[in-house]
Amino acid sequence: MINFFSAHWSILQSQFWSLLVIGLANGLIYAMVAIGYTLVYGVLRLINFAHSEVVMSGAFGGYFVLRETVGSTMPTGFASFGYVLLGAVSGALVGAVVATFVERIAYRPLRKRHAPKIAFLISAIGASYFLVNLAGKEFGRYNTALPLVYNNNVAFTFLGAQIQTYYIVIAIVSLIMLVLLDRFVSKSKLGRSIRAVAQDAETASLMGVNIDRTIALTFIIGGALGGVAGFMIALNTGAIYTMGFVPALKAFTAAVLGGIGNLRGAVIGGLLLGVVESLSVAFVDPAFIDVVAFAILVLVLLFRPTGILGERLGRAA
Amino acid sequence: MQKYFRSPFALRLYRTLALTALIALMTGAPGQQQTPNLGLKLSYFQHVSFFGLFVTQRWVVFLALGLMVLGVSELTIRYRPVVRTLRQRVIAGPARIFERRLVKLTGLAFLFLIAFMIPTLVTNAYWRAAMVEQVAVYVLLALGLNVVVGFAGLLDLGFVAFYAIGTYTTAWVTGALPLAPPFHHALNPFWAIPIAIAITMLSGILLGAPTLRLRGDYLAIVTLGFGEIVTILANNLFSVTGGATGTNQIPHFSIHLGPFNYLWGLDPVPYYYLVIGFAILFIAVFHSLNNSRIGRAWTAIREDEVAAESVGINPLKFKVMAFAIGAASAGFAGVITAGQSNFVTPSSFTLQFSINVLVLVIFGGMGSIAGVAIGAIVIQVITMQLDHYPPAGFIPQDLFMYLGALLIVMMILRPAGLFPARRRTRELQQAGQGVGHADEVLTGDVYE
Amino acid sequence: MKIRLNKTMVAVASSALLLAAIPVAGIAETAGATNPTYIVGFEGPLTGSLNFLGAAAVYGVDLAITQANASLNLPFTVQAIDPTNPASGTTYDDQCDPTLSPTEATAAVAQAGLIAIVGPECSGATRAAYPAYSAAHIPTVSPSATAAALTTGKTNNSFMRVVPGDDVQGAADAKFIVKTKGKKKVYVLNDASFYGAGLATVFNTSAKANGATTKTATLPTSQACSGTAGTTQFASTATLIKSWGATAVYYGGYYCDFGQLLNALHNAHYNGVIMSGDGSEDPALLTSVTSPSYAKNVYLSIAGGSSTLPTWFLSDYNAQSGAPDAASAPYASQAYDAAMMIITAMKQAYTVNITDAAFRAAVVTKLHRLTYSGLTGTIKFQTNGNLTRSSIINFYQVKSGQHGAGTTGGYGIKLISHS
Repeated sequence: MINFFSAHWSILQSQFWSLLVIGLANGLIYAMVAIGYTLVYGVLRLINFAHSEVVMSGAFGGYFVLRETVGSTMPTGFASFGYVLLGAVSGALVGAVVATFVERIAYRPLRKRHAPKIAFLISAIGASYFLVNLAGKEFGRYNTALPLVYNNNVAFTFLGAQIQTYYIVIAIVSLIMLVLLDRFVSKSKLGRSIRAVAQDAETASLMGVNIDRTIALTFIIGGALGGVAGFMIALNTGAIYTMGFVPALKAFTAAVLGGIGNLRGAVIGGLLLGVVESLSVAFVDPAFIDVVAFAILVLVLLFRPTGILGERLGRAA
Repeated sequence: MQKYFRSPFALRLYRTLALTALIALMTGAPGQQQTPNLGLKLSYFQHVSFFGLFVTQRWVVFLALGLMVLGVSELTIRYRPVVRTLRQRVIAGPARIFERRLVKLTGLAFLFLIAFMIPTLVTNAYWRAAMVEQVAVYVLLALGLNVVVGFAGLLDLGFVAFYAIGTYTTAWVTGALPLAPPFHHALNPFWAIPIAIAITMLSGILLGAPTLRLRGDYLAIVTLGFGEIVTILANNLFSVTGGATGTNQIPHFSIHLGPFNYLWGLDPVPYYYLVIGFAILFIAVFHSLNNSRIGRAWTAIREDEVAAESVGINPLKFKVMAFAIGAASAGFAGVITAGQSNFVTPSSFTLQFSINVLVLVIFGGMGSIAGVAIGAIVIQVITMQLDHYPPAGFIPQDLFMYLGALLIVMMILRPAGLFPARRRTRELQQAGQGVGHADEVLTGDVYE
Repeated sequence: MKIRLNKTMVAVASSALLLAAIPVAGIAETAGATNPTYIVGFEGPLTGSLNFLGAAAVYGVDLAITQANASLNLPFTVQAIDPTNPASGTTYDDQCDPTLSPTEATAAVAQAGLIAIVGPECSGATRAAYPAYSAAHIPTVSPSATAAALTTGKTNNSFMRVVPGDDVQGAADAKFIVKTKGKKKVYVLNDASFYGAGLATVFNTSAKANGATTKTATLPTSQACSGTAGTTQFASTATLIKSWGATAVYYGGYYCDFGQLLNALHNAHYNGVIMSGDGSEDPALLTSVTSPSYAKNVYLSIAGGSSTLPTWFLSDYNAQSGAPDAASAPYASQAYDAAMMIITAMKQAYTVNITDAAFRAAVVTKLHRLTYSGLTGTIKFQTNGNLTRSSIINFYQVKSGQHGAGTTGGYGIKLISHS
């Protein structure tokens, strides 16, 4: 037992900063996807199963735009960053569009009919299933690598961890998006309407808030962030039609971990899950990393379902 | 001007156009590795003949079809109430004959007769094999999931886990796993049936007891996670399950009772009769459960859990019971699969499997045993037909896309399913009018 | 009396109609000519993510059948393969899925006139279909199923393969890495599939026997390969590989996940030797990595097969409508050899008015006794179904410039040596 721990502990010690950096990078991606879940849950009290496909479509959106615009030579310097931004924006746009479609087709008719909760869940599953297989048919059932837009060198080394350009890209883009989101939700009028609907929908509509439009806006924001996250994932591993499922499930774990309905909780949950997942590689066979993530999900839901920060969108942020 | 663009007719027009564009995409050519946007392009810009009349682009054909459909529906708007009353008088009224007990029993007997006659009617070799592996097994699974989703109203996305446990238990009991069998020598898979059912029921109780307190969507995710965990463990615990390489040879079913010896070999027909026999047993059990105190408790929990609790029903106990009973059916299906294919591999235990079974239940009508069985048969037969004899240009994997779309359409148009249980239909109608679970959408907590 | 249309009746009637329509989707009819017609079927992935494997091989079989009918003076006719018409009973699409292959095998067994099968192509599907085929004594000669477990301990096996098994390939690869390249610290990875896990296990045992220290890890099939695991496992494993100080990495699995691994190893700045088996040998490998330069100097081993095919085969193969380009069609020549050998054995085993069952068993026996000289070399089977000749494993390396089938991003796969 002690041998087991000491062997794995030494791996952990020697690789701690590297694994931590990997974990934080993954965590930021989970955070962006988790915000989509949290927003929709806060406003509709509904888990948007089709969010995984929003992530996937953002990846493909970014892929197609980059494919058309990036030439045969790899751009450098500011051009690189420009292309990354272009890819992220197109990913956000496609993600937002797909999320809106899902809301219009799969959720709105049921809301108008006052369908029971199980109908929403089944419709969401149907939407997810449909989008996955549609993407598989259109884009093929194989991995497509994105065109290279930056040289993935080690930018600098920090405490023994080699920080690659990829991690810097993730950090910059996600921090920009998260800060923008935070300002939007807490300061702007539309953000206030989202918080109002999350807190009490009937009273908000009495106050003049257009519920349908607010819900659509929620999906747009969540979809945009999810799309950007999908693009980030695809930068590293390529885009494939099933790529949304696992990151989205882990992002849902992150959202629950941080407190579902809580935006800051989603970010914290994402970072925490990414780090724990990454550090656990020192202890378990990489094959079981996903088991660790799902086990965290089950345990959190059983023992502390309100999550770490545990507050609602209406009251927080 | 803006009002014109937002008028109800304009909205209907946009909706029709969007739907037409989507259908064109769905039925278009697939993408290719070298040119990923080929699928998108060909869906709209391919040369096709307009019903043999003249050649034009695909988008023109679909646009024309969409506008024609819109035109027909606009012109017939006046007649919709007439059609509705006609439907009620012609179909729904006379359909009441089927609620009479004698008619029901005769219909049931007729269906059982057909079920027994099928091996003699079906001569195609592929279908003889498929009717057990692909149709009958899925009927069992759908019946089990029906208990969980239809009777108790719980969404279980990890149903494949119980099926997997059933198959691996069979492998274990018959000595096909690296893990030693429990009785120091391999048993006939027949003995695996009660053992597998017991173990899957136990796992259903173990999974359900802590998690069934959670609300609908959380429960769905937790069961999803559990399904994934079981799949990953099956794939990677090499010393227990044989990992990805699968189990060793599992023996066929056989009976040796005194003078009576019978071996289920490679011919699928004996398996078919075995499955039919047990399916009838399961149907009888589920039907009597549904009409008993337990079934009424399930209905009460489904319709209004707080009210049910206030009259003394323990929701958790009945939910766990539903879980365990549904799991038992899945476990038995696992035994049959393992016994027939003599070999278990974890690659078949995917989330897609759970969703496929869910589609069968939803399509057939959740809560209705006959509906679920017929729905399962219909969808599986169509799936197998398209898999084995695909029409020109149709790729079998596209079927899942249509199943997903089917789920959405069913939820919008006919949430009670094709052959709905009467009670379910009434519940959904009441929900639409604001009674029961209607306001759960905008309020509600983690725990119900 | 009015006929009362009702949902249930409609459903029952349409189900009955559907079921009745099925037998009509017929079985191939044998030609009423003087020569009896037999079927040499093909089982493999004709749809699905691995359909390029099936597409390449099926045309090899078709070419063999056409040429055999024309020039071998057969006392019977072998029915031509039609990959676009599953109802003809000549092709069985198992999508490489072990849950679908038993059903296909059962259909093949019941097909009148079907004597032998070229295939199944995938190891997992072969394993699942084996009980059905062996009980019916149908010879299945596979052009590509290499898992070692398929032949262990079998005698007069109805399953035979024209490529060396993974036991041979794993041992040769281990010798290549440990002895020829001199790398003694090897990290062995696999994708938890029937093929990959088997190959990695053999490699691990041989490497240790050759004096190397090894560490193993499992990276389950990720979403890049249409599996369900996430792709974050590759980066974390690459970090561990680097920290352990491995001088060589061996991967048992397919090109899609191998590409992910190469990405991760490049990002972790791993400098040692990387090698994989023929699951990774695919021109698409160079497009599954973020940049083809990430795959530079990677070694790939291919079991059996000649790297230079005769020109007549290339031109005849390409002349078939619908066939992929012969130069990049994996296992086309193996499938051709398998089909030709089967037909030769059928010719020797045939007697007039022989029953299907007796013919099948006789062909199995004849195949075990036959020595056939084909495009891929001399083929003779052991009693367990493996090849007897000391099998050649070809080693390839990814190098810049145009090599082999083609070039992607300036890199190609070049033959460098053999075992």
